[in-house]
Amino acid sequence: MVVLRAGLCPGLTEDMIQLLRAKGIRTVVDFVSSDLEDIAQKCSLSYKALVAVRRVLLAQFSAFPANGADLYEELKSSTAILPTGSPSLDQLLDSGLYTGEVTELMGAPGSGKTQVCLGIAASVSLGLKQHILFLDSTGGFSASRLYQILQAQTEDEEEQARSPGETEAGFVLQLEALQRVQVERVFNIYEVLGALQELRDRLSQQVVSSVGSLKVVVLDSVSAVISPLLGGRQSEGLALMMQLSRELKTLAREFSLAVVVTNQVTRDSSSGPLKPALGRSWSFVPSTRVLLESREGTWQKPSTQRAASLAKSPRQPTGIQVELDIG
Amino acid sequence: MQREVGTLPLAPALRARLAAAGFQTAQELLDTGPCGLSKEIGISREEALEALQVVRQECQGDAARTAGGSGATRKCTALELLEEEQSQGFIITFCSALDNILGGGVQLTKITEICGAPGVGKTQLCMQLAVDVQIPECFGGVAGEAVFIDTEGSFMVDRVVDIAAACVQHCHLIAEAQQEEDHGEALETFSLENILSHIYYFRCRDYTELLAQVYLLPEFLSEHSKVRLVVIDGIAFPFRHDFEDLALRTRLLNGLAQQLIIIANDHRAAVVLTNQMTTRIGQSQSTLVPALGESWGHAATVRLIFHWDNSQRLATLYKSPSQKEATIAYEITSHGFRDVQPPAVTASAGGTELNPRKRPRTEGEKQ
Repeated sequence: MVVLRAGLCPGLTEDMIQLLRAKGIRTVVDFVSSDLEDIAQKCSLSYKALVAVRRVLLAQFSAFPANGADLYEELKSSTAILPTGSPSLDQLLDSGLYTGEVTELMGAPGSGKTQVCLGIAASVSLGLKQHILFLDSTGGFSASRLYQILQAQTEDEEEQARSPGETEAGFVLQLEALQRVQVERVFNIYEVLGALQELRDRLSQQVVSSVGSLKVVVLDSVSAVISPLLGGRQSEGLALMMQLSRELKTLAREFSLAVVVTNQVTRDSSSGPLKPALGRSWSFVPSTRVLLESREGTWQKPSTQRAASLAKSPRQPTGIQVELDIG
Repeated sequence: MQREVGTLPLAPALRARLAAAGFQTAQELLDTGPCGLSKEIGISREEALEALQVVRQECQGDAARTAGGSGATRKCTALELLEEEQSQGFIITFCSALDNILGGGVQLTKITEICGAPGVGKTQLCMQLAVDVQIPECFGGVAGEAVFIDTEGSFMVDRVVDIAAACVQHCHLIAEAQQEEDHGEALETFSLENILSHIYYFRCRDYTELLAQVYLLPEFLSEHSKVRLVVIDGIAFPFRHDFEDLALRTRLLNGLAQQLIIIANDHRAAVVLTNQMTTRIGQSQSTLVPALGESWGHAATVRLIFHWDNSQRLATLYKSPSQKEATIAYEITSHGFRDVQPPAVTASAGGTELNPRKRPRTEGEKQ
C-alpha cells in the first residue's frame, strides 16, 4: 500500500495530492480502484491527466502474468543442483540442493545439523569453487572442523598421486576454499534481517569482488533467533518470522540461491513424540525438510552414524531414509 | 535503504500504525521527516523523532556493512576465523583425558554445558576452571579472571583454596624443572591471594535475579576486560521449582541462551553452565536425560554429560561442533579435578583418594 507522493510519476503534483487527500484518497490502491470521472468532477481535475497518471501507476506497481512455458524455460536455465558433499544425502534430496528453494534440516541436539552444513560449505567452496554465506546464530561454527572436512575431501580426490607438489597444491586449494566461505555472526532477529538486506543490496548492485558467485546461504539456526519471540500474548514474533521467511524465499528466487536453514525439535510433553520447532506456520516455508536422528537414541553409546529421513519434499516421496556418517 | 518497515526494531503498536498509513520502506520514513510523520500517524513529535533515530541507526549499520566497514560487525571469512581459532587459548582442566576429548580444553567464545547427577563433580569442575583460567600464559593458560554466578549455594571457598594451592604448587614444580626467566616473574603474581581476588562471585536466589545478573553482565565485563570465564553453577535450579507457565520458561531460557552467546562472543570469554538430570519415562524403560527440556539442549555449543559406572566417574562428550563423541574416566582428589591414576603408579601422594567431602558410593545405594 504505497502512499501517494509528489514525484511518484510525472503528472502527479503536490496540489493534486492535496486535493485527492481531501477526498480520502491516500494510497495508490485507493486511486486506482476509484471512479476517475467521479474524482474529476469532485476535485475539479482534468480527466485526461488522471487517466495518464493511473496508467503510469498501474505499470509501476502491478504484477504481470507470465506464460507457463516461458517460466519453465527460465527455470531450466537458472536452476542449479548443488552436491552436498555426502552421496547418500544427495540421493535423499534428488541429486542435491536446488537453487531457488529453501531446504530445512531439523534434529535433536547433537544430531549433526551443523556438521551437515559444514559439509555443504566444504563441498560448494572446494568442489564447485562458489562462494557461500554462513549466518551463524548459535556460535557453533568451527573453522578448524571445516578445515578438517576440506582436508578429508581433498584427500579423497587426490588418492592416486602423492608427490609433494600435489599436496602443496592441495593446501593452497584448501586455503582458497576457506576464503570463499563468509561467516557472519548474527545473534538476534534484527541482525539476521539486516544481514539479509545487506546481502540483497550487494547482489543487486552486483559488486563482484566481495560476493563473487554466491550460490548458497546457510542460516544456522533459525529457531535460535525466533524462539525467544514466539508465544505469549503478542503476535509480534509470528510477524517477524513471516518477514524472515519472505526475505529468505525472495532472495532464493530472485538471485537463484540455495537457502539452507536448520531448525530444532521439541516435544509436546515429556513423553510425546519429537516434532519440529517453530510450529505449523513455519512448516510451510521450506520446500524440503530433512530430519536427522542418531541411531542409538541415548547418549550412553556414542557413534558417528546418523539417519536422515525426508519429511517434506516437492519431488520425492516422503519417508525415505538414508544413513549418514558425520565423522 | 530499501529496508522494509516490518524488519526495523520499532514498537509493535508503532509498526502497526506505519503499515496502516501505507509506509513500506525505511527510505520513505526518512524522507517524510518527523513533522510529516507525526501528522500522518498521529503520534507526538518526540516519538516520531525517536523512531526516526532508530531507523537511521539501522540503515547506517547496514550501509557500513555493505561498504565493508569493520567495527562491531561480526563478519569475516572462514580463513580469518581459522587463524583466530588456532591462536586462541583453551582453559585446561588438569585432567588430560578430558582436555583431549574437548580438543585442548574448554574453548573460549563458546558455551559449554555440564550435565550430571548430584554428587558427580560438576561444581568441582567449575571451581577448578575458575582457578585454571588464571594460569599465566607462559605455563599454557589464558591469564584471565573468572565470574562465578552461584544459584545453589554450593560454592565452598575453602575447597577453592585447596584447589588453588595445588595449582600454584604444580606451577612451581614446572618452573623448577624448566628454569626459564618469565616463569619466575609470572609466579610472583600467581599467588593464592591473587587467585582468590580475581574470582568475582555473585549469588542469585531466583530466576529473576539470575536474568537481571546476566543482563547486567556485559557492563561488568566491559569494566573488567580480563574476564575470560563466566560460570553459572546451577542454571536448572531456579527454573525448575515453582514455575507454572512452561511456555514462558522456554521463552526465557531461549532468550537467556542468546544473551549468553552474545557475551561469550563479544568479550571472548568461555561460558560454562551446569545442568541437572531428570528421568524420562519411556514405553518400556526410563532413562536419565538432561533437565530443562529439548529446546534447552540446543543452547549449549558443547555438552558434557557426567555419570557413574560402578563407582567410577565417567565424562561423555555428547555434543560438539568439532570433536567426536567419546567417554573418559576422571577422578576428584583433594587437589581437585584430575585424571584417573593407573594403579601401578603409587608415588603421587594423595592422588588416588576420593574427595573426602562427598560420601562414597556403595553398590547398595546406586540404582
